[in-house]
Amino acid sequence: MKRSVLVVDDDPFVRKLIATTLEDVAEFELHEAADGVEALAVALRERPTLVFLDVDMPRLDGIEACRRMRADHASAGATIVMLTAAHGDSVEREAEDAGADLFLTKPFSPLELLRLVDRLGEKSP
Amino acid sequence: MAVGNQPDLAREVERLRDELALREQEAANRERQLERYAADLRETYKEERARSRELVRALSNAVEARDAYTSKHAERVTAYALELARALGTTLANTAEIEFGFLLHDIGKVAVPDAILWKPGPLTDKERALMAQHPLIGAEIVRGIEFLGPAAEVVRSHHERWDGKGYPDGLRGEQIPLAARVFAVADVLDALTTERPYRHASPLPVARQMIVAESGRQFDPQVVDAFCTISDEELERIRSDIQ
Repeated sequence: MKRSVLVVDDDPFVRKLIATTLEDVAEFELHEAADGVEALAVALRERPTLVFLDVDMPRLDGIEACRRMRADHASAGATIVMLTAAHGDSVEREAEDAGADLFLTKPFSPLELLRLVDRLGEKSP
Repeated sequence: MAVGNQPDLAREVERLRDELALREQEAANRERQLERYAADLRETYKEERARSRELVRALSNAVEARDAYTSKHAERVTAYALELARALGTTLANTAEIEFGFLLHDIGKVAVPDAILWKPGPLTDKERALMAQHPLIGAEIVRGIEFLGPAAEVVRSHHERWDGKGYPDGLRGEQIPLAARVFAVADVLDALTTERPYRHASPLPVARQMIVAESGRQFDPQVVDAFCTISDEELERIRSDIQ
C-alpha cells in the first residue's frame, strides 16, 4: 500500500510548493488540507504516515490540530512535522507538548524537506 | 453613497485595509519562501558541479595511476587545451563539460594491456591496432555519462587528424569535432615537452616548430594559428602550475 502524506497549510501556494517538491521522490499519495478542521477530516479518512502541519491557520490552528491527531488512533502514529515561523521557540515548545515530532522553520529549505522525507521513508517498512 | 452610510463605509474601508495588510504579509512570506528555493537550487547546482568534477578527476587519476611516466599528463593537457580554446576565441572554454572531456580523453587506455602500454620499443602492427582501439573503448566507457554531452566526442576523436589519416573513424577537417581538434594540439604539445623513457623532452620552441610544421596535416590550421598567439611564458606558467 502506498504511504499517505498530508500537507496542511492555509496558503495554497505553500501546499502546491511542497507537493511539487515531493513529487516522484518517494512512493506516496499526497493529500492536502487548508486548515485544522479539514486536516482532521482528511487524517481520519486517509490515515497519513506523515503530516506537515502549519501552525497559523484559521478555524483550528496547527497546535490544536496536532493535539487532536495524536488523540485519534487513525493518526496517532503519524510523524507530525510542524511548519513554524522563524524565532518561534515558545511555539515549538507548545507544539512539542501537543505531540509534534519535528520542525521545519518557514521559509523552509526544500533540501531539508527532501532529506527529511527520504529519512522517514527509510524507516518505514 | 448616502451620507447616512458613512459608518458602514468607514468599516468597509477598515476591513479592506486589514485584508490588504494580510495579502501583503502573505505575498512577503511567499517571496521569502521562493528566495529560499532559489538559494537551495543555487547550492545544489554548485554542489552538483563540484561532485561531477571530483568524480571525473578520480576517473582520470585512475587512468594515470597505471602509468608513472604520464603523471599529470591529463591535467596539463587539459590546461593547455582550455588555454588554446580561449585563444581560439570559441565558447568552448566556457563549458565545464569540455574540461571533463579533456580530462577523460585516455580513459579507454584502461583496456590496453600493460605490455603494450609500457613497451619501450616500437609497437608491432597488431599491438598498434590494439592501442588504436582506446578511443573507441573510451567512448564506450563514457557513453552513459550524460552530463559529458558533446565533450564525449573528445574521448572518441582525439586521435583524428586534419588530413583524414587519424583514427578511429578517419574523420577529416571540420568533420572532427572542434574540441577534439583543439585537444589534439594540446596533447602533442605535452607529449613533446615531457620526458619519456624512450626520448628526451623537447624545448618549447622546438615543440612549437614541430606543431606548426603539422598545420594542415595533423592539425587544424586555425587551431595552430591560435596556438601561435600563446607565448612560451604562458605555456611555461601552465606547466609549472601543475607540477
